[in-house]
Amino acid sequence: MTGERGASLERRGVRVVDTFAEAFDMCAARVLITANSPAWARTAALCMTGFATSVIGCKVEAGIEAELFPDQTPDGRSGASVLLFGFDAAGLANRLVERVGQTVLTCPTTACFDGLPQAAERVIVGGLLRHFGDRFQSSKFLEGQRYWRIPVMEGEFLIQETFGVQKAIGGGNLLILATDQNAALAAAEAAVDVMRKVRGVILPFPGGIVRAGSKVGAKRYKKMIASTNDAYCPTLRGRAGVTSELPEGVNSVLEIVVDGLDRPAIENALSVGIDAACRPGVVEISAGNYGGKLGKHHFRLHSLLSEAST
Amino acid sequence: MIRITGGKVYDPANGIDGVVQDICIAEGRIVAQVDGGRTIDASGTLVFPGGVDVHTHVAGGALNFARGLVPENQRVARKFMHGAKLRSGIGGMTPTTFATGYLYAGMGWTTVNEAAVPILSAKHTHEELHDIPIVDKSTLLLMANNEFVLDLLEVGEVERAKHVVGWLIWAAKAYGVKAVNPGGVAAWKWGKNASTLHDPIEGYHSITAAQIISGLAGIIDDLGLPHPLHLHCNNLGVPGNVSTTLETMKVLEGHRAHMAHLQFHAYGGQDWGTMRSEAVAIAEAFDAQTNLTCDAGAVLFGDAVTITADGPWQHLLHELTGRKWGNLDVENETGCGIVPYVYSDRHIVNAVQWAVGLELLLLIKDPWRVFLTTDHPNGGCFWRYPEIIQLLMDVDYRKEQIKKLHPEAQKRIVLADLDRQYTLSEVAIVTSAGPARALGLSQKGHLGVGADADVSIYPEKPNNDGVLFSYPRYVLKGGEVMVEEGEVRGTSEGREFIVRPSYDEQIVEYIRPLFDKVYTMSFENYPVEIERLRRPEITTCK
Amino acid sequence: MITLTLKEQPNVPLEAEVLSPDAMAALANDAIRALPVYLGKKLCRVDDFFAVEGEASDELKICGDARKVKWIGRGMTCGRITIVGNAGMHLGAYMTGGAIEVSGNASDWLGGEMTGGLIRIRGNAGGQVGAAYRGSRIGMKGGTILIEGTAGLEVGMRMKRGTIVVGGMVRDFAGLEMRGGTIVLLSGAEIRTGAWMMRGTIVSLKPIPLLPSFLYASTYNPTFLRLYAKHLGTLGFTIPYEEQDGAYQRYTGDTSIPGKGEILIWKSVKA
Repeated sequence: MTGERGASLERRGVRVVDTFAEAFDMCAARVLITANSPAWARTAALCMTGFATSVIGCKVEAGIEAELFPDQTPDGRSGASVLLFGFDAAGLANRLVERVGQTVLTCPTTACFDGLPQAAERVIVGGLLRHFGDRFQSSKFLEGQRYWRIPVMEGEFLIQETFGVQKAIGGGNLLILATDQNAALAAAEAAVDVMRKVRGVILPFPGGIVRAGSKVGAKRYKKMIASTNDAYCPTLRGRAGVTSELPEGVNSVLEIVVDGLDRPAIENALSVGIDAACRPGVVEISAGNYGGKLGKHHFRLHSLLSEAST
Repeated sequence: MIRITGGKVYDPANGIDGVVQDICIAEGRIVAQVDGGRTIDASGTLVFPGGVDVHTHVAGGALNFARGLVPENQRVARKFMHGAKLRSGIGGMTPTTFATGYLYAGMGWTTVNEAAVPILSAKHTHEELHDIPIVDKSTLLLMANNEFVLDLLEVGEVERAKHVVGWLIWAAKAYGVKAVNPGGVAAWKWGKNASTLHDPIEGYHSITAAQIISGLAGIIDDLGLPHPLHLHCNNLGVPGNVSTTLETMKVLEGHRAHMAHLQFHAYGGQDWGTMRSEAVAIAEAFDAQTNLTCDAGAVLFGDAVTITADGPWQHLLHELTGRKWGNLDVENETGCGIVPYVYSDRHIVNAVQWAVGLELLLLIKDPWRVFLTTDHPNGGCFWRYPEIIQLLMDVDYRKEQIKKLHPEAQKRIVLADLDRQYTLSEVAIVTSAGPARALGLSQKGHLGVGADADVSIYPEKPNNDGVLFSYPRYVLKGGEVMVEEGEVRGTSEGREFIVRPSYDEQIVEYIRPLFDKVYTMSFENYPVEIERLRRPEITTCK
Repeated sequence: MITLTLKEQPNVPLEAEVLSPDAMAALANDAIRALPVYLGKKLCRVDDFFAVEGEASDELKICGDARKVKWIGRGMTCGRITIVGNAGMHLGAYMTGGAIEVSGNASDWLGGEMTGGLIRIRGNAGGQVGAAYRGSRIGMKGGTILIEGTAGLEVGMRMKRGTIVVGGMVRDFAGLEMRGGTIVLLSGAEIRTGAWMMRGTIVSLKPIPLLPSFLYASTYNPTFLRLYAKHLGTLGFTIPYEEQDGAYQRYTGDTSIPGKGEILIWKSVKA
């Protein structure tokens, strides 16, 4: 992707490029995992959202949206909410069944509920996992929802039959161009800290940060779907075949990718993220796009900045 | 006096096939001419002789037991509210007595043959029949598991058996003789059945089902009853029972007989998983044996209540389906079983059953020998007969319905290959003229001079529901308009047809001591006094 | 609000299914007065027995000891009925929506074969709460019945879905032939609870005598009960579920069928 560079604004000495992040239509689900303690809820949530950085290679993007207090969960126990993003409802349904089945059902003390009760479109999750009960399972129908009780060695696993899915947005992003690796990382960590507090979004990559941002396709290998974004690789300045986009003084670039349930959530996350990343050692904040040709959701950094400053 | 003018008359018994002509009525009968009186403008209608149901279950102990077993049906059944002309009643699958009359008459049926009456509860049956308004009735007396008769047949005392049968018919004030699962219901008293025709019946030394059948058929022919032995064959409902039915026809060679609800006896296959239609084989054998008549016993999808004297079959149905089950024993005579049931078009076996009834009606060549019934309420309710008529008359509609069946069921039937469409004349035969003739009721089933003035007048074009015959414009019974534009305008008491066969009156000296020994009733209470029947009419035996 | 005040106690039960929001919501006052009620088999008018105020509302208030008035709210789909006093048999039978509240007692067949809606009885109820009528294979299929007092025989007989909560003691055969749904007994029951149970859950907060065909399975704190506790909490009923307070003993049955139902009996740590 290219970073279209126009006029820029400054925030605390950091240049914010007048460009936009280009993001895509996706389909999302929210899963509420509860357990006997916050630690076990977290364990199940971490396990469920492992290996879920990019839909391309992992079939789903997932992360922990928030940890929940007992008064915030359907069964009054500690919990965590997890967001998952996929291309379509059918694919997402399959991922839910796989992941909940292998990582939540198997985790001690957990129960699993739908976090999008208002969503009109529903997919069957508990209704398929119930078969693990080998016909010894039973269900309860309460307030318009069916819940499956699956007998397990530990006791009983409770899971809602259907989960809501909704249109969502994936691939919102920020690029942090810094003087060195430590500065880039410190800025990215600071951004991730505040972005994580925003509801409705997840940062699917490790620690929320992408060290190996990519471009679509490849110049040398015909069949690759994505490859290193050579225009932003500091060690490739001056190399034949590379048109570097890096301004002077930049020796390390980190990317933060945001998936969100809706536009406001992503705008919120990006704007607090930009602000937190404007720190010493950061030369420029930019964003990645495809000229606006692939994704229909565009987040102009300057609009976000003006929001953050107000 | 009434003149019905302008309608297309269908009177196949007198060779009239859709001719526009007047029908004149005076003093309850068809006459050649009338002067004055009411004129009914029947233009745009079809004029039929009133329907005759040759096999139905509408009154008596078994019916009442069934009514009690299915209160949930009564709750949702059609309600007949008490009014100036109507008594109250409940429709549904086991209609109450008054409602039965209104429902039959409302459809254009005017004569009804109650097909299974035990002698022991004949009084109850006559009381209920008396309460059924408008229609005329007859009854068939259960005989093929009667221990007096079986004991006599077993030792070859056929002559004495004949007198006993004659005495029993008059004692019960019946019209004819019914045989249900011969020997099987007697065996059921030992928890067994009679699945073969030539093996001794449980509880007896040597008598076989075949001997009971031929014995009774012979006795009835001897007594000259107007209606022949009315037979519900062994192995009703069982996959592969085609062989039993064909064998039974062989046993009946040389005798008159009427084979009841033949659909239930026309199955091939070895078990429920392979059950299929054998209507072709049955129809072929039936066509060849011209002494036989039959009724279809067709099945319609939807709710039903199975009520039959065939106790062991009903127990099997209960075990198969898990549905609730009632069983009654009638001491020394017969039994009865009740199981509420639903015929589903999703169910392969039910789909085959639905097809077989129609196949028989379409394959059997002579419409004078096969009659329209559902063995009400076993195969479906009598007030749904018009649905069967529609299936018989409209081949495109029929084929549409066949396509809706489970594909596996479609492989097991031949119905899709049958293109025959019933003509209106044939409909008149299978619903009226044919059954009247088979019952030996010469004043029924036709519109010739001297016939009872039972006339049903249907609009030529079907009603909003698209079904012809569901909504007669007029129904006359005995020359009075009973139903007009779907409303019961008047009611009357129907008559009950009975027979008084000749038998040796001395036979009572044989019967009474036996009776006292084995019955819990006292003998004086057993026969039905003629005074209990309000309007009996004796039909002569030959 | 339409207010009906019983002014004349019927000597035989009154068949009054017209006393329902569906029947009255669109009617003017004099049309309401003229609605038919049956005194036995005699056709009468509503105002032969009730003073009628108000019109054209889906909120009904019935005042008086209407213990002989049957079928109130029969088949209702919406609206509210508030009974200040007692109610007769078949209250809310076949209802599919709306709400009924009774300050006093209800009689037998409360909510018979209902499929939705809410019924709350502050006093006691009779027998056959939410049950199948004679011959029907299935009883209530949805909805909620809350009884603060006692109830009689065959509570929830052949129910398939829905929730029944009884604050006081219930008599024999609670959950007879149950096919699903949940019965919560805050004060326990007499004998033969869950006889012929096929599926469903009976929760008892007090020990109850069990048929020998109910077999002990385990003792635990089922998560699903926390959902019910939350739901019932909003309706004014408290059921325990925390491990520190106790646990439920699970009995599986009725094994004579064999059924897949359960009876959960609370065992407090203090016991």
